[in-house]
Amino acid sequence: MFDAFIEGLLLVLQWKAFSLMLVGMALGFFVGLLPGIGGAATLALMLPFVFKMSPAEALAFLLGMHSVAATTGDITSVLFGVPGEAISAATVVDGYPMAKNGEAGRALGAALMSSLLGALIGAVALALAIPIVRPLVLTFGSPELFLLSLVGISCITSLSGSTPRGQLKGFAMGLLGLLVSTVGQERQSGSLRFDMGLMYLWDGLDFVPVLVGIFAIPEIIDLAVRGTSIAGERPAEDLSRGVMQGVKDTFHHFWLVLRCSVIGVFVGILPGAGGGVAQWMAYAHAVQSAKTAKEREGFGKGDVRGVLGPGAANNSKEGGELIPTVAFGVPGSGAMAILLSGFLIMGIMPGPDMLTKHLAITFSMVWTLAIANIITVLLCLLVLNQLAKLTHVRGGLIIPFVLLLVFVGSYTANGQIADLIVTFIFGLFSYFMVLFAWPRPPFVLGFVLGKVIETYLFISVNRYGFTWLTHPIVMLLIVLMAVVIAYPYIQQRRQRAAGAARA
Amino acid sequence: MRKQKALFCAVLIAVAGFAIYSALGWKFKAALFPLTVSIPLAILATVQLVLIVFGKEESAEGAAMDIDFSIDVPPEIARRRVLNTFAWIAAFILLVYLLGFPPTVPLFIFSYLKFQSEISWLSAIVTTAVTWGCFYSLFQWLVHIQFESGAVQTWLGL
Repeated sequence: MFDAFIEGLLLVLQWKAFSLMLVGMALGFFVGLLPGIGGAATLALMLPFVFKMSPAEALAFLLGMHSVAATTGDITSVLFGVPGEAISAATVVDGYPMAKNGEAGRALGAALMSSLLGALIGAVALALAIPIVRPLVLTFGSPELFLLSLVGISCITSLSGSTPRGQLKGFAMGLLGLLVSTVGQERQSGSLRFDMGLMYLWDGLDFVPVLVGIFAIPEIIDLAVRGTSIAGERPAEDLSRGVMQGVKDTFHHFWLVLRCSVIGVFVGILPGAGGGVAQWMAYAHAVQSAKTAKEREGFGKGDVRGVLGPGAANNSKEGGELIPTVAFGVPGSGAMAILLSGFLIMGIMPGPDMLTKHLAITFSMVWTLAIANIITVLLCLLVLNQLAKLTHVRGGLIIPFVLLLVFVGSYTANGQIADLIVTFIFGLFSYFMVLFAWPRPPFVLGFVLGKVIETYLFISVNRYGFTWLTHPIVMLLIVLMAVVIAYPYIQQRRQRAAGAARA
Repeated sequence: MRKQKALFCAVLIAVAGFAIYSALGWKFKAALFPLTVSIPLAILATVQLVLIVFGKEESAEGAAMDIDFSIDVPPEIARRRVLNTFAWIAAFILLVYLLGFPPTVPLFIFSYLKFQSEISWLSAIVTTAVTWGCFYSLFQWLVHIQFESGAVQTWLGL
């Protein structure tokens, strides 16, 4: 085992594999920055280039690119409030307000360092978990995965406000997100739903135009209304100190980063859930970790813990997703499905062979995840100060470029003008959501998870009738969901009781 | 503000109502999930509407996990700037429809910088040229994104 571990490292450090990893990382860096051009799409575009590579070279190239895209996606989320990747959306919620508070350097430092720690934890999980994870994955069938998705939505909705009215709005937005996800052809019966007679809607609404509209447009409008730079009239912070502060924050909240990384690994392992869920579950966990209402107040307004949680989970889930992909040939996400086809192109059959005959290649993936992220974060830390200065450029000069980035990104989803209209409509809707204090995260999570939830529900009912509700793990998850929903009230009551006792 | 908030709730109720009405005409398999989510959505939005109309003003801690818009700008100016920005966005989409992406990019960037941000002619031209160069080399030359030609080119048979 140890020999294979070292052999894996040597495979990555061979000059050709290492150079290809650097090329992949450079591509991943820009792909991560550009909204709309996702890591998965780029993996697909790059597949034809791996035909002539050895397995270790090809994996270094593809994984180097994919893992870096998740890291740099956080940069645009923090600087402009535009998620670079769909999996970086949660970083916007606190990262962008930090930039507005003149703490862009700190937010970027925290996002990148937590991403690095998350990636390393994911890589270690990949190295350790392969022999023991099989029974865990096989325990989770459709009913359990259905409930797990509901737990994810409950986490976010229950944290949408500490008052019943705030929660009510959170649940309503979660339901609206689920409803919007049903647009298009229904998979089981083939019926068209809410297609308005438009062929564009037959395949449903794509994530990118909707997410970009939901998150970017209100931020752009707010920037235009203020008429200042993103960081406002605040004096330029000591940027280098800001970046280092973010790095320190990561270690100050190390246990939070660790827990969110574990959440990322766990969600990554489960097929179909993916980074869209991991980031929000991690965010919800970060909020729930706040012990008092006062500690929780800062979330959504620029709390560094809201950046650390999603940053760590985004990257640790890469290692988690690789576990079922490598061990059983069951891809955990769309990107992993593309990577799986890369394995087949290289003549590698995922499964038991990866733990015996090709163990060194499996470990080379662990090393690639670790090395690619270390290099990227170190390089990024060198240029972060310059990037953070963008938040002091006058808004009027930034807005046209951000708009261009938003709409080109949205256009890449289907290559149709309708993508732009969808972005505009959801941007307008999102503007009113923010104006009237209806939370956006539950809507986004409902929209992202809607199709998966419906499929799991359908399979569960079809396969088990309603007896699936009595499965032990399902019952456990129902209890967990109830606890998650009740938790803010329990916390409030405890504080009131403590306050009364003090008085 | 209370009236606008109520109107937003009414829109949500209308969306949920439309979803319920549409789903009732579908096969059971297709209707199950939309009905499962739209019925509670209609109920929750109605409760919220009732609370807005008859209840007390909402406390600030209602929605904790999202951004707040800036309140430093006088409402009248803020409203004008919001409409102005939405008009720019709509104009951008209209231009893409009419001319396609490649001609719209320099036209939009230049117009916004010159007439909205009011920078000098030289700065606007140089910035537009650099942006166009980046746009072309990245999206067209490197990534090969196929941009549809605009309606005008189609009408002219170009």
